[in-house]
Amino acid sequence: MTALRSIDVSKVFEDGFTALADINLSVDPGEFVTLLGPSGCGKTTLLKIFAGFYAPTTGRVEQNGADVTSAPPEKRDTAMCFQSYALFPHLTVAENIEFGPKQNRVDRDERLDRLNELLRQVDLERHREKLPNKLSGGQQQRVALARALAMRPSVVLFDEPLSNLDAKLREQVRREIRGLQRKFGFTAIYVTHDQSEALAMSDRVVVMSGGKVEQIGAPEEVYQRPETAFVADFIGSANLLPFDRVDDHVVETPLGRLTVSNRPDPNARFICWRPEDAEFGVSEGGNIVTSDISERAYQGAYTDLHISVAGAPDQRLHWPGGASCVGQSATFRLPPERIRFVRGEIA
Amino acid sequence: MRWRRTLLILALLTPGLGVILLMIGSVFYVAVMQSFGYYNLVGEDSFSLEHWEKVLGSKQFSRSLSYSAYIAVVAAIGSVILAYPIAIWLRRPFRGSLAISAVLKAPLFVPGLVASFLFLNVIAFHGVVNQFLMWIGITDEPIRMQNDRGAWGVVFLQLWKNMPFALLLLTGAVQSISDEVLDAARDLGAGSFARFRKVIAPLTVQAMQAALIIIFIGAAGDFAFQVTAGPTNVQSMAQYMVFLKDSFGRWNQAAVVGVSLMILALFGSLILAFISSVVLKSGNKW
Repeated sequence: MTALRSIDVSKVFEDGFTALADINLSVDPGEFVTLLGPSGCGKTTLLKIFAGFYAPTTGRVEQNGADVTSAPPEKRDTAMCFQSYALFPHLTVAENIEFGPKQNRVDRDERLDRLNELLRQVDLERHREKLPNKLSGGQQQRVALARALAMRPSVVLFDEPLSNLDAKLREQVRREIRGLQRKFGFTAIYVTHDQSEALAMSDRVVVMSGGKVEQIGAPEEVYQRPETAFVADFIGSANLLPFDRVDDHVVETPLGRLTVSNRPDPNARFICWRPEDAEFGVSEGGNIVTSDISERAYQGAYTDLHISVAGAPDQRLHWPGGASCVGQSATFRLPPERIRFVRGEIA
Repeated sequence: MRWRRTLLILALLTPGLGVILLMIGSVFYVAVMQSFGYYNLVGEDSFSLEHWEKVLGSKQFSRSLSYSAYIAVVAAIGSVILAYPIAIWLRRPFRGSLAISAVLKAPLFVPGLVASFLFLNVIAFHGVVNQFLMWIGITDEPIRMQNDRGAWGVVFLQLWKNMPFALLLLTGAVQSISDEVLDAARDLGAGSFARFRKVIAPLTVQAMQAALIIIFIGAAGDFAFQVTAGPTNVQSMAQYMVFLKDSFGRWNQAAVVGVSLMILALFGSLILAFISSVVLKSGNKW
């Protein structure tokens, strides 16, 4: 049985804006699923439909097999961590965490057990009597997480919970969230526009664009085998080139004639390869490309090279050394198995 | 240097704070002194408790005091109770919300005496209410509704006049609560009333207390509504004060009522604010 499921869910707002169109998504118990996409792609709208704050215009939502489409948020077995933390400013840390259990009439001993355990888990025991405005952003986020977990929900919904934290703290809280999810075993649906966050945390990533699902898959799958130009471009860096099919394993591209290991998808519009796919120091065999370097940016572990290609945008390569200069040429090989075919348009 | 800075601050405060303190202070001083036998219009000035004894011993005074306190408490609490749901309803703009808000606040621009007069026209023998009741056949002759003994007319006028003021204060406070905080409460299982009791009310308590205090003080000192629409068997404190001054020029006794009214306004409003705070705090503890 799925923990949470949306069936043909669409959402059209009063002003006529279509935020979601026919979303079908099943989330298994204990799974960590991330809704990833740019601003306005509908990921938060879908999360709020799961939480019960929005009613879908069409379609339905099931939780543990039961139809919860019209159930209000207070009647659902979900808890949400908000982007702004949404802590109650007049209540202490302990009172914030106890709010849900008290509301749901959990008996006092059980409530205190949960409170003490969660305070220990999120390392906030010393701060239990403080008001939220006396805590740092990271601490407030942990209180919000503890408050959600105190409900012992089967599904926790995260709405960009780390977006207000600095990079270092984000990394730390990200690990804490994943650790707590593994420990308590709850199902997590996590909204973010940060692709590295999505890849690092998720069991599965749902890439969304324009109110539709572009691709659903494991992080490795959506990164290494993107199905659309949007997914390829949005997750990591991707070089996209138009192509003409020559035969089942050869395509003509602005980089020249390239051998591919997969047959070209009849619906594909572009070939795609990642900057790190280029192999340097190989000058024989097929798929050898030589082109002028138009730009370089030293990144520490590698140098980001841009090469000019006639009839196509500049292509990016990750050069493992640091000595290449603008004006020089770069020779590299594109392994056939690393060239993928993608559908759709370049945004 | 420090005294020069203090002097500068005092000089800057004087035009505002100074005038207020001077006006209030002088009025309060004269009223208090008059109540103890000074500042007499006729006769010699001398310290005396006679005026306090006479007024405090009079049954009319105790009735006025309890009546004014009753009207003030009902007006303050009633206005806040009526204003809260409207403030929550108007929290987020919707089509027509601006117009509704403007109409609701219109009574703020109508002077109290004019409001009383309009009210009398509605409930008088020849008023629209009686004419309507006779037209639909509920009654054959006009019913007497004005100057009712239960003071319902005054209470209605107080609520009509003061609710918009409470709404003005509470709307701003309610609007300052973020949607996510209310959504979080809902997500954690709080229904409408629990959200109000545990989130909205505690986060708007200062605006609520300000509304309670200001409305209480205004209603406790009411004169206009009382003399036009109030019951004739009891006087409000302000009405009683004017009555004492006008009948045989009992200025000193009028001053005693005036000082009592100020004490009622001060302590009554503070007690009301304190009780509201305690009730909310105990509500949070469940």
